[in-house]
Amino acid sequence: MTLLQTLTDSARNLAVRSPWIYRINAGSCNGCDVECATTALIPRYDVERLGCQYCGSPRHADIVLITGPLTAHIKDDVLRVFAEIPDPKVTVAVGVCPISGGIFRESYAVHAQVDQYLPVDVNVPGCPPRPQAIIEGVAQAIAIWRQRI
Amino acid sequence: MLDTTTIPLAVLMFPGGLFALAFGLALKGLDRRVAARLQGRIGPPLAQPFFDLVKLARKRTMVPDIAAEPVFLGAPLIGTVSMLLAAALVPIPGVYAPNPMLGDLLVLLYLLAVPAVVLMIAGSASGSPFGAIGFSREMALMLAYEGPLVLVVAAVALRTGSFSLSDIIAYQQTHGAFLFDPVMWPALLAFLAFYPANLGIVPFDIPEAETEVLEGPLLEYSGPALGLFKMMSALKAVVVLGLGVALFFPSAPDGAAGLLVHLAKLVVMMLVGVTLLRVSMGRMRIDQAFSFFLRWPLALSLLSLAIVAAA
Repeated sequence: MTLLQTLTDSARNLAVRSPWIYRINAGSCNGCDVECATTALIPRYDVERLGCQYCGSPRHADIVLITGPLTAHIKDDVLRVFAEIPDPKVTVAVGVCPISGGIFRESYAVHAQVDQYLPVDVNVPGCPPRPQAIIEGVAQAIAIWRQRI
Repeated sequence: MLDTTTIPLAVLMFPGGLFALAFGLALKGLDRRVAARLQGRIGPPLAQPFFDLVKLARKRTMVPDIAAEPVFLGAPLIGTVSMLLAAALVPIPGVYAPNPMLGDLLVLLYLLAVPAVVLMIAGSASGSPFGAIGFSREMALMLAYEGPLVLVVAAVALRTGSFSLSDIIAYQQTHGAFLFDPVMWPALLAFLAFYPANLGIVPFDIPEAETEVLEGPLLEYSGPALGLFKMMSALKAVVVLGLGVALFFPSAPDGAAGLLVHLAKLVVMMLVGVTLLRVSMGRMRIDQAFSFFLRWPLALSLLSLAIVAAA
């Protein structure tokens, strides 16, 4: 292995310990958003120990959590915000709505599944999923992100 | 003819450059770790700011369509370079005295104003409305805290009769540190109010309030450009705290022990003045912060100047 490769590998190992999380609410009922907020914000689960940080700006994000069935009203905005997230990024769909539309499926107002429009890497099913499931989803996203960064 | 050969070393390696950057990042990591513990969390590893920097270096930098690109990308560079120079201007008592060719306290004051100006420029160049709000708030806050800082420095300079930090330290080593001098206490209090505002932490992080204006000027930055801003703020912590040590409490032994004592003082200032403050307070509104600075620190620093002039 050359020196350059070794350096790149060690830089990747360091970089992967700093995943910043950004949430997109694609018309969710807020159930999953409450779980996401609970997961990160309460001391019990404290994702900051994994280096995670919630960021307010899509430009700072590494891991994107998408909740909701992608309603017709919000679709264009979600796609626009998603395009503003710099590469390399990983997408986690939280809840059953991004997978199938959940209780809103077959509604005229939703565009689920989300993966028709965005490259979803990890699905975390549940209505809403438990905080532990969301953390596991983020952990899997970090593993995928390691391949990309 | 003054010897200038050590200046590049001082700016790039020690005490500026790599050393200040590494120590600044460690201070930030310590701050995050201790804040987490105070909130009953485990908290990130001490090297977390360093991981963040490596990560940001590997991301893409995106420039918004409406941004003024040269200014947008130039601003973080100017800010970081100014802080590198400033770090070489701050003496470490008993270990390092800045070369007089590099500048004195007045140059340091001007360099200390650069990060705030750079954030304003960055905010307005990004073309984002949040950046514009951050710009106006940064300007208001800077107008409020720069006055007390200048008066504090003037009071210290008047007391010692010199604008050279080496002279100020030498004066305190013969006459006792200003920390124990009641005449200087108003100036000390004003400085204690100034440095959290300059470092941009709660309750004075109004320009970059992430829950209100989404980090304001930094909103549109990503990748290495954002990393440069993180470096700038880590260096600024070392510079501002080091300035406080030099102005008020420079007593230290010579050699390696002096370096350790200096670093310990910086850690204490960070933990008490930054970490404890930011976990125990909420954010002020910009008008509250503005009137706070124009009332207490300004009055205290004026009082200090008057006492010193009379004494």
